[in-house]
Amino acid sequence: MASLKDIKRKIKSVKSTQKTTRAMKLVSSAKLRRAELLAKQSRAYAQKITEMIQEISINLAKANENLDHPFFKVVKEPNVVDLIVVTADKGLCGAFNSRTIKVANGIMQEYENKGAKVRLRVIGKKGIAYYKFKQKELLDEIENLSSAPTYEAAAAFIKNVVNDYLDGKTQKVIMVHNGYVNMITQEVRVNHILPLDPNEFQAKAVSTSELEMEPDDDTLLEALINRYLEYISYYTLIDSLAAEHGARMQAMDTATNNAKEMVKTLTVAYNKARQESITTELIEIISGVEAMK
Amino acid sequence: MSTIKLEIVTPQGVIYDGDVKIATLCGKEGEFGVLPQHASLVSLLDAGVISATTANNKELVVAINGGYAKVDENKITCVVDGAVVVKDEEGVLSQNIEEAKKLLKSAQTSDAAIATAVSKVESIKR
Repeated sequence: MASLKDIKRKIKSVKSTQKTTRAMKLVSSAKLRRAELLAKQSRAYAQKITEMIQEISINLAKANENLDHPFFKVVKEPNVVDLIVVTADKGLCGAFNSRTIKVANGIMQEYENKGAKVRLRVIGKKGIAYYKFKQKELLDEIENLSSAPTYEAAAAFIKNVVNDYLDGKTQKVIMVHNGYVNMITQEVRVNHILPLDPNEFQAKAVSTSELEMEPDDDTLLEALINRYLEYISYYTLIDSLAAEHGARMQAMDTATNNAKEMVKTLTVAYNKARQESITTELIEIISGVEAMK
Repeated sequence: MSTIKLEIVTPQGVIYDGDVKIATLCGKEGEFGVLPQHASLVSLLDAGVISATTANNKELVVAINGGYAKVDENKITCVVDGAVVVKDEEGVLSQNIEEAKKLLKSAQTSDAAIATAVSKVESIKR
């Protein structure tokens, strides 16, 4: 049996841990609210622009137009695949990062089995640390972006990727992140962002008339697609941030509850030990008195 | 009379989503009107004013600072950088007029386009 002092010390340390986890939970829930709002606002835009791009590409595919455009050029067996993995900068958020990495590894395996070279672009310290530990080569390491996403930074990042794609250095770009569903659920989302493959989009009721462009040139389409890619990467980061705070809130809630449970058991043990020592003392006194008779 | 769905979305959220009878959009190449059953079209939008007549014959005026529009037979989707509703089904939103002017003036486009749009917004007041 541990001594009274030991148990007391342990209770104190568990209690202080509990305080920390509770504070972290509160911080996360406040941040979650903000991130959630941001995600909600930009979701409509992200959805519309995605819808727009999908409809345009289906339309173009139907008319057999522009299909030689690099953005629409689908390679059946890509030789080089760029995998963008979005993780958090901080830990203590349950299985948030490991789940994303697991899915990313699955994709990587799949393409490597097909003989493609997979280039990793990792956003977030946790992902970087993981792949560094595994001694994988990282093409891009971006820190401090997933914890405070800005449109400019996201656009600058994706511009690099798009340039590589247009230069033919990669033939497919996939983005993996852990997305926000609601306060307590996250879901790993895999987004094939380039090339824009009309066959991958769900065929909706699309208009049959020929698509016209105004002003009539490729730059419009290109600008629109660039805009789409920028926004999608920005939205992905926001979505991931909201999910991160959700996951952390949940993890910290569980930790606080566990600590509470532990304090309870420790208190019981402490009381038992105290009672025991009192009993022992009493016996000693009584037997001392008895002996003196 | 048939209607066409009009959606105006900004990074800050959905500004308008409803059925209209006619919409006038401020394309980079000039204004154009869209009626139901319009042919498919993708257009660059300049800073300016989108006006529309809603399904119950009310006027809708939205100031925007540029973006893209995709039109097909039964839907107009405007994806814009910023938008302010100046007049909706309830009437003129006078507190939004200043905001709309500010938005238009901050747009990166020709001065002429901005001036036209600002005067349009101002004329609504009267």
